[in-house]
Amino acid sequence: MTAAPANTPTRTPRIGANPRGVVLGTLAIGFGIPAVLFAAVLVLSPLSKPLMIDAFIRNVLGQDPATFGYRNLLYGLSVAILAFVLVNFGAIVSGMTVWWEMRVSSRMQSRVGYNRVGAGGFFQWVADAVKLLLKEDLIPADADQLLFRAAPYFVLTGFALTFVALPFGESLIAADLNVGIFYMIAVTALVVVGILLAGWSSNSKWALFGGMRSAAQVISYEIPAGIAIMVPVLMAGSLSMQEIIRQQGAWPWQWNLFTNPFALVAFVIFFVSQLAEGNRTPFDLPEAESELVAGYLSEYSSFRFAIYFLVEFGNLWVMAAVAVTLFFGGWQVPFAGPEVFAAAKGAGDLPGLAWWGLQILSMGVFAAKTLFVLNLIVWVRWTLPRIRVDQMMVLCWKYLVPFAFVAFVATLLWQILLAHVPGARTATGAVLVASTAVVAAFFIRQTRRNLVAMGDRVDLTNW
Amino acid sequence: MPNTTQRGYVGHIGDTVKSFWHGLSITASYLLRRPVTVQYPDRTPMPVRDMLPARYRGFLEVDASICTGCQACERACPIACIAIVLEKDPANPKLRAVSQFDIDEAKCMFCGLCVEPCPTGAIQHTREFEGSQRHVRNLVFRWADPMSPFPVYKVDKNAEYYPRAQLGSLVRAKFDAKPWDARGPKFLPPAPPAPPAPKPAPVAKPAVPAAEAPAQAAAATTPAESK
Amino acid sequence: MEKLILRRVGKDHPDSEEMILNFGPQHPSTHGVINFIVETDGEVLKKAVPEVGYLHRSIEKIGESVGYPQFMPYTDRIDYVAAMFANEGYALAVERLLKIDAPPRAQWLRAISCELVRIASHLVSVGTMAMDIGAFTPMLHGIRERETINDLIEALCGARLTYNYHRIGGVAFDLPEGWRDKTLRFLDHFDAFLVEFDRLISFNEIYVRRLANVAVIPGPMAIDYGLVGPNLRGSGVDWDLRRDLPYGPWALPEFTAKVKWSVPVGKGFTGRTGDCFDRYYVRCLEMKESSRIVRQALESIPEGETMAKVPRKVKPEASEALGRVESARGEMAYYLVSDGSDKPYRLRVRTGSFTAMGIIEDVSPGLMVADLVALIASLDVVAPEIDR
Repeated sequence: MTAAPANTPTRTPRIGANPRGVVLGTLAIGFGIPAVLFAAVLVLSPLSKPLMIDAFIRNVLGQDPATFGYRNLLYGLSVAILAFVLVNFGAIVSGMTVWWEMRVSSRMQSRVGYNRVGAGGFFQWVADAVKLLLKEDLIPADADQLLFRAAPYFVLTGFALTFVALPFGESLIAADLNVGIFYMIAVTALVVVGILLAGWSSNSKWALFGGMRSAAQVISYEIPAGIAIMVPVLMAGSLSMQEIIRQQGAWPWQWNLFTNPFALVAFVIFFVSQLAEGNRTPFDLPEAESELVAGYLSEYSSFRFAIYFLVEFGNLWVMAAVAVTLFFGGWQVPFAGPEVFAAAKGAGDLPGLAWWGLQILSMGVFAAKTLFVLNLIVWVRWTLPRIRVDQMMVLCWKYLVPFAFVAFVATLLWQILLAHVPGARTATGAVLVASTAVVAAFFIRQTRRNLVAMGDRVDLTNW
Repeated sequence: MPNTTQRGYVGHIGDTVKSFWHGLSITASYLLRRPVTVQYPDRTPMPVRDMLPARYRGFLEVDASICTGCQACERACPIACIAIVLEKDPANPKLRAVSQFDIDEAKCMFCGLCVEPCPTGAIQHTREFEGSQRHVRNLVFRWADPMSPFPVYKVDKNAEYYPRAQLGSLVRAKFDAKPWDARGPKFLPPAPPAPPAPKPAPVAKPAVPAAEAPAQAAAATTPAESK
Repeated sequence: MEKLILRRVGKDHPDSEEMILNFGPQHPSTHGVINFIVETDGEVLKKAVPEVGYLHRSIEKIGESVGYPQFMPYTDRIDYVAAMFANEGYALAVERLLKIDAPPRAQWLRAISCELVRIASHLVSVGTMAMDIGAFTPMLHGIRERETINDLIEALCGARLTYNYHRIGGVAFDLPEGWRDKTLRFLDHFDAFLVEFDRLISFNEIYVRRLANVAVIPGPMAIDYGLVGPNLRGSGVDWDLRRDLPYGPWALPEFTAKVKWSVPVGKGFTGRTGDCFDRYYVRCLEMKESSRIVRQALESIPEGETMAKVPRKVKPEASEALGRVESARGEMAYYLVSDGSDKPYRLRVRTGSFTAMGIIEDVSPGLMVADLVALIASLDVVAPEIDR
């Protein structure tokens, strides 16, 4: 390989691939940061419950919890640390989702994508975030000063609060609310407030219309999403996230998705509605319009803008996590039912090591399933074009809502008539899993045919 | 092919599923194929200029040893970016020499019209394209030295080919002669015209009434100040 | 223009929600530097008036000051997405002035290079249209195919965009070695690509729903407004200069005998005739036809020379000539008036995108804003052609 000719600008060009140091450093940080975050969630979420803190005070500090003066301080401190960890988790996962989405999408488009900043371009999102921070923070003079500044934080709050009820593992949930899923729907509605505030406070008619249209989109699609969520709630008999997961099993034929054909329909409706709520293609007209004309984000720059995009990409994780909870069996580990967890916990106040190991396993299962659904969302984005506003409304009210109602009523009947018939669940599960496997096999065959038709091969080089 | 004016509710759903099936399988298949990107400049299999076709219209190169000084290229250029000056050799008035042969590569649009009329092929497009310079004046390539003009080539009508330096070597030599961010040649702008000599302020004006004298003095000074 | 619109909005209706916006002149899409003054109430347009001239470079005036052979590189810049046609039109017009003909092999080479560039131009057009509608992937696939065409043309004439390949009296270069086989191999791959492209985006339900029955331009209206090319054929009018007013290679009997092709005409593939989808799909079909043409032409190209005898100084007698070609964007016509000197007295270029601008104002009322994007993309306007 010849060196660059003398007339090119003098910087040392990298000849060939990244040097080993860079690759190792990127791997270390790329796996290290999520590992640290997951470990923090793993350790902190079970331990921030009052019982555990009492056990900690009793066993480790050797004090009596009832009279320990700093007990409330410890409660508050542990919750605060967990909250901090979760918000960071959301932000960093959002950044890494950007990286992953861009790499995947670029291969779908026959190009390489980010590959200079760190091995595989892993730190590009850090560079983008730093760039956005360094931009000038413009606020229009006639904009409503307080609301303009406050709007991004509504959106950020709506996003961050969802992490409170995400079940990362068997006991790894910040707050096991008995209205968990209801809380999730309620809290994501804050995003609408943020959008409307952004549109209105920008003092631009076009921004206002863009914001109103986007808010209309998000609000309309909450109806089919809510009705679709009722289907697994009916099947589980509870609104609590952990309870919904516990009522499913670990194997595919025990997931909600496959034990009830109407849950399959409900999953599709839920998936489409979540795409619309997250402003993802094919429902990103409010944002795409902002390419050509101003949208609700037009007046935002620098960090305020960064917050909106952080929330959009972080929402992928939340959407996927909720879908996994409701339909894909959550963190359920194969071969490890509730009795295995109880046995591993031991009799003492603080749980034993085997229990922690099982928690890590359950967290891994949850993360893997969430990443799978996240990839589905990314895949759909880069394949489909955008839907127009009126078509979007037609889709919601004429297609999704009726089907959601049908699924809901049918699930009611299903639960009453068939769910208690012994073997009904397993039979349905087996049939649906088998048919899904057949469909997947056909899909893989079609994909292979696409490759062969163009004379290409599977080739994962040229990163 | 779906005709949307006639499909009903169910047909719409069926078309959607079918078209999504095809679309998603195609993007999935592309995920597994090799991207076509050639990662210039440092991860190419060989230097890009060797991967270019022979007819590539890169920077122009003039081999002065076979230039006949016919100025056909100068006339053919649509933008007049070639400047050729011939002069008679003082020793031998019959011989002519080229004392200036400048090509402004910044103006050049790489059209190739100058290459066609050249009788010997002295001027050619090379495959060099990496010629960025910091100062645009450094893009004027001087193929003749005014201090030592080169004699024009006498065309041998029976020759089968005209001996030429390797294509691209002369251009590369020019690139390597100085770094890319070398300072440009200083062309001083022409000296501005000398300002007119200022009118001396009227000191004493005899035989003028005192009321008019300040007015006249004011009128005399303001034109001089405004100059 | 703004005054015409401002009169109706604002003062008379203080509660009206109508507003006037500028779409452009900086678009994120590649249609170029065009401004649209859009009057809308946020949802539905009242009117969209295009404002052109941001890319005017006085090419017609430059034509009066450089000589006839020197103007050829400037024709590339009139429409840089499909520059070969501009070359051909100009060469035709000057050849008619000089009353000479290019030799047959040169004409065949002109047809081959032009049809390859038509494929390249349509790839950009349908790709950017898909991107405007929101599908990002098909555009990059199209650009990838276009790269191969660019490489082929680069091997042929030395440049990838501003070709300067045709000359007055013929073409500059003959085919290099191995070019024929490379091109035929590419065409095989390209035909498979077109099938895949259709499956990926053309028949995607969302895409069809975005474009079907949108901005219908009936055939008579298209003719009245002077639309040409795929815009006209998309409205159902069966008119193609290559077949109906043959020029250059299309007028050679051995060419029409060996090269069989057909003209795709819109017929309401997914909606009404003349909607955006028809115009889009006509371009897809034209790519297939061009591939057929290049393949047949390469297989039957006659031997011969590539340049006619042209006088060294091109000084046609005082007359006028018209050279019309069927460019990727429709009819491109060069009207040359010569006064006997070596520079033209007047050089006028009539391009298809300019008239397509005119129809936008009258088709846009009642469209939604997203449909305006689809309309502009389906008319395949490129700003350099409008403004020259």
